[in-house]
Amino acid sequence: MNMTGAPLLRIEHLHAGYDGNDVLHDISMEMSEGEFICVIGANTAGKSTLLRTISRLVRNARGRITFDGHDLMATAPYDVPKLGIAHVPEGRHVFPDMTVEENLLLGAYCVRHDPAYKHRLEESFSLFPRLRERRTQRAGTLSGGEQQMVVLGRAMMLGMRLLILDEPSHGLAPIVVDEVHDALVKIHQQGTSILLVEQNTALALSVASRGYVLESGRIVLADTAAALMENPKVREAYLGL
Amino acid sequence: MKPWIWGAAALIAAVVVPSFLDPAGYPIRVLTLTLLFAALGQAWNIVGGLANQISLGHAAFFGIGAYTSTILLIHFNLSPWIGMLAGAALAALAAYLLSFPTMKLRGHYFALATLAFSEVLRVVASSWTSVTGGPAGLSVPYAADSLALLQFKSTTPYYYIILGALVLICVVFLVIQKSALGYRLRAVKENPDAAEVIGVDTTRVKITAAVISAALTALLGTLYAQFTYFFDPEAVFGIVAISVRAAIIAILGGAGTLAGPLIGAFVIVPLEEFANAALSSRAAGLSQLVFGLMLIAIILVEPRGLLVLVSNGIARLRKGRKG
Repeated sequence: MNMTGAPLLRIEHLHAGYDGNDVLHDISMEMSEGEFICVIGANTAGKSTLLRTISRLVRNARGRITFDGHDLMATAPYDVPKLGIAHVPEGRHVFPDMTVEENLLLGAYCVRHDPAYKHRLEESFSLFPRLRERRTQRAGTLSGGEQQMVVLGRAMMLGMRLLILDEPSHGLAPIVVDEVHDALVKIHQQGTSILLVEQNTALALSVASRGYVLESGRIVLADTAAALMENPKVREAYLGL
Repeated sequence: MKPWIWGAAALIAAVVVPSFLDPAGYPIRVLTLTLLFAALGQAWNIVGGLANQISLGHAAFFGIGAYTSTILLIHFNLSPWIGMLAGAALAALAAYLLSFPTMKLRGHYFALATLAFSEVLRVVASSWTSVTGGPAGLSVPYAADSLALLQFKSTTPYYYIILGALVLICVVFLVIQKSALGYRLRAVKENPDAAEVIGVDTTRVKITAAVISAALTALLGTLYAQFTYFFDPEAVFGIVAISVRAAIIAILGGAGTLAGPLIGAFVIVPLEEFANAALSSRAAGLSQLVFGLMLIAIILVEPRGLLVLVSNGIARLRKGRKG
């Protein structure tokens, strides 16, 4: 547990990208334990790259990232979940030929020696009752919204401290989007810190308490969600008001 | 019927069949080759089927097995049983080193890289005449029937030894499939990105499968050399003769399943022999053409392989009986 009052996640002067082309330039941000923050910005602003750099899927990076005192830059991607960071990448990455239950159980892969996963399976099922109904169904046969639930449930199996989410509402019907965001609020209430990346700015600002605006790989604005909602620039560029 | 009953029945049949066949005849030779290629398909299946890394270079490991044991036998009079282990170790090392440049590759790029690797070994085997005999190949010296030297006049002992190898490789496949490694491999196969974010070291999982598969393939290379007494670079390092055949047998039968390569081999090897026997006197290349057309027909009817075709057929029969 974080007893020092230091931020849970701290990013300092981060540059990152692919094959020598930096996508992110001099990013610095931090979040405390229990916070729900969002990063908004247009397509290609570098939002996904930011998340993928935190979970070490993008290895080409300079700067510092620390999570609860651990140097993430010195951590292998497959060791990141062991620290309690669950990354839900864009595009609903389920294991299509496995059942819903197998998908969830694999989420506990990193913590498989901890019997608490059984309890967490129940938690996932009670948050998403639809998954309990479909537990023996192949994940590839589910609807987009249900697959998003599988991916969120799988992340919960980790007993995560930080959930980083990439466009969870992308390509979902409006009613399903609401459902997914209700689930995020519940996950947050249960004590998980959440870092959300969304193109749907109104939605992101309605659930998060604080936000960063990313433009061409740089942070151009950082404020509370309420203030960003009122910011004329944000209203014009991202809310279309 | 439960799957293990099928397996037991097939095994009993395989053990009994040679007593009805002429030990020096043609049918038992074809059967022995069929078992050998079923085993090769199964070894390929560990990396191709379970990890979905489509290798087109398994001849590299097959050839390493054949050449290592034979060279050790000729120059040091070392028993092929020991040579077989040396070949397996060498193939495992080769697969391990090869995986550093290739494991980041996906799909076609991986297939092409493995293909290139086996071609390099074929060229080396053709050029390094002082050790490998060059394009003329190597002959395994025959002294007398001897289990220690793994050589027999009759085909029957080879049949049982190769059947043993097939059973061994099938057991290894099953154990991996049911183990934690099997689950990791499935995760990597179904969605590599998701596997990575739940904390699977995807590179290590794929390398483990590749190394096991390579070592088993090399064992079969040694058995092939001892069985045929003669081989040249084309026979053991050949793209079509070994690499593509291993892949086709597993894919056609049903990649990623235990029964797939067995079904694939029992269709493809006899089919190929039949096409050769029936057509090779008519026109050059006609048998290959007909064989190729038959493969295309099977893939068009059921891309997921013969196993699916067979089990769908059984399901339809059952439904028909009930209805």
